[in-house]
Amino acid sequence: MDLYIIVFYLFALITLASAAIVVISKNIVYSAFALLFTFFGVAGLYVLLMADFIAVTQLLIYVGGILVLLLFGVMLTTKVIRVDMRTATVRTFPAVVIVAALAGTLIGIFWSTDWPQSPASDGFERTIPQIGEMLLTSYLLPFEIASVVLLVALIGAAMIARRERKAL
Amino acid sequence: MIVIRLEDLLYSAPLLVLTSSGLLALIAEAAGRDKPVISYYTSLIGVITSLILTFLNLGAGVPVFNNMILQGGYAAYCNLIFLSSALLSIVLSRSYLERMQYHRGEFYVLIVFATAGMMLMAAALDLTIVFLGIELMSICLYVLAGFMRKKELANEAALKYFLLGAFATGFLLYGIALIYGTSGTTNLVVISRSFAQLSGNSLFLIGCGMLIVAFSFKIAAVPFHMWAPDVYEGAPTTVTAFMSTGAKAAAFATFVAVFVRVFDIPGTALSSVLALIAAASMIVGNVTAIAQNNVKRMLAYSSIAHTGYMLSGIAAGNAEGEQGILFYLVAYTFMNIGAFGIVSWVEQQEDRKLKFDDYAGFSARQPAVAVLMSVFMFSLAGIPPFAGFFGKYYVFLAAVKADMTWLAIIGVMTSLVSVYYYLRLVVLMYFCEGESDVAAKVPLAAISAVTLAAVLVILLGIYPSLLVDMTKGFFKI
Repeated sequence: MDLYIIVFYLFALITLASAAIVVISKNIVYSAFALLFTFFGVAGLYVLLMADFIAVTQLLIYVGGILVLLLFGVMLTTKVIRVDMRTATVRTFPAVVIVAALAGTLIGIFWSTDWPQSPASDGFERTIPQIGEMLLTSYLLPFEIASVVLLVALIGAAMIARRERKAL
Repeated sequence: MIVIRLEDLLYSAPLLVLTSSGLLALIAEAAGRDKPVISYYTSLIGVITSLILTFLNLGAGVPVFNNMILQGGYAAYCNLIFLSSALLSIVLSRSYLERMQYHRGEFYVLIVFATAGMMLMAAALDLTIVFLGIELMSICLYVLAGFMRKKELANEAALKYFLLGAFATGFLLYGIALIYGTSGTTNLVVISRSFAQLSGNSLFLIGCGMLIVAFSFKIAAVPFHMWAPDVYEGAPTTVTAFMSTGAKAAAFATFVAVFVRVFDIPGTALSSVLALIAAASMIVGNVTAIAQNNVKRMLAYSSIAHTGYMLSGIAAGNAEGEQGILFYLVAYTFMNIGAFGIVSWVEQQEDRKLKFDDYAGFSARQPAVAVLMSVFMFSLAGIPPFAGFFGKYYVFLAAVKADMTWLAIIGVMTSLVSVYYYLRLVVLMYFCEGESDVAAKVPLAAISAVTLAAVLVILLGIYPSLLVDMTKGFFKI
């Protein structure tokens, strides 16, 4: 078997198995740690798809940022409010309906897409320079707006979380 | 490749000036601690300058920044709504926040940035801009809703709005992803060219459906309206005024920009879905509003009902529908912001004086304010000769022309229901005894803002053609 295929199945297995643990585990800390492997596996799949930029962002933002934030959130809240964070199954019926609809959509996309049968071209083409160029030319305006959005999020977070100052 | 042309900057001057004034106000706020007045004047000057520049820009719409946004024309018209809403909210907020002891400079900065987000939403020619504009506006509003940090209701409002808003964003992005996946582009103009052939693709339709869910959340249409009453009640009253006018107008502007101006929806399933949502909003909003005792909550349900009226214009999807909504948005903005402005005067700390009964006998003590409030209530109820009447007339006319007479009938019937709860307030003010009073002295600026709104409501009711003629050239890009 091709090495590429073996690596693909390996990453797919890591992703699916850890995702199952995220859902099944009763302890939310275990779930959060299992999510680490899910994100990692997805990043691996992106690498196999030659999407270097997305793979790096996946690692930096999801593994480096969101997951750490999630773990901190879980650990700090359990300590502060002394609640044992356990997960429980509620509202099974609506969840089943929504998940079934979502899965149906995804499977629909999967079947209707005309997948390329031949393997990706041999030469690896870096996408980062192209994305960088696009961001500063045709997508300059969205790029700038994104910076304003981040600024506003920063002000908002500071506004809500800061220490009380004497009112005027 | 030319990245930015000079024309791009000139045409988008209102947006650039507004954003810069927000940044300036932020720097001023950081430099001069505890002087929110600096931030107040900076943002006020920014909004007024932007308003003047927008008036100069009302001509034909021009796509700028590599076809990312449309400036002038339709976008400029919508900008006028957002900027007037921001202007009136800023003016009303100062005295209100001082009275509530929450006067901080960041408030105005957030209002200005939210307005910039609204302007992007209306101007968007690309789904990425739609997304970024909605996020820019919403993030500001989440914070503004919880601006009174010590109030429990405000915290609840902010958290509820944030969580449900994040959920709506998920729908929006999923929808955009599906549309991008099926059409191969995020540019709305390109999508509009191939809409006829895309509308047969079920994945594309699911994507559009998800956009409808996300937009319906933002305009608070039934069944995605659950957040509105709680958020409108918990947020500072002047923020509620801003949210229910500017933010709603912005969400409608994108709704129209995507579903009327780009997608050719008449006759498709999307049109019937929108008609059903419109009917449900009119019925639920009006019927629930009757049972309310809190004026802010009553206005929240009334705003859901008005969402329903305006949505009938989108469901009709014709030129009359677009013109009707554009007129309605202006009328609704002024009458609603005026009503909330007066509520914010009567309200006292710790949420006192928000009940219907607190308005009993109002006319004896505050005759001028009672007259203003009556003007807004009559207009909201859609009684001629006020602007609210023509708004309803135009959207229902559009529905009839699009062979949706049943929708117009539901609209008229539910409007009749709404007369009850609007006029209840007027009756209380004029024919009941009570000891209600505007406690603090209301500053001149706030009085002029509300009076201006009332004058515009009357003026547009008498000469609706002032606006309608302006909107005739906007239909389709």
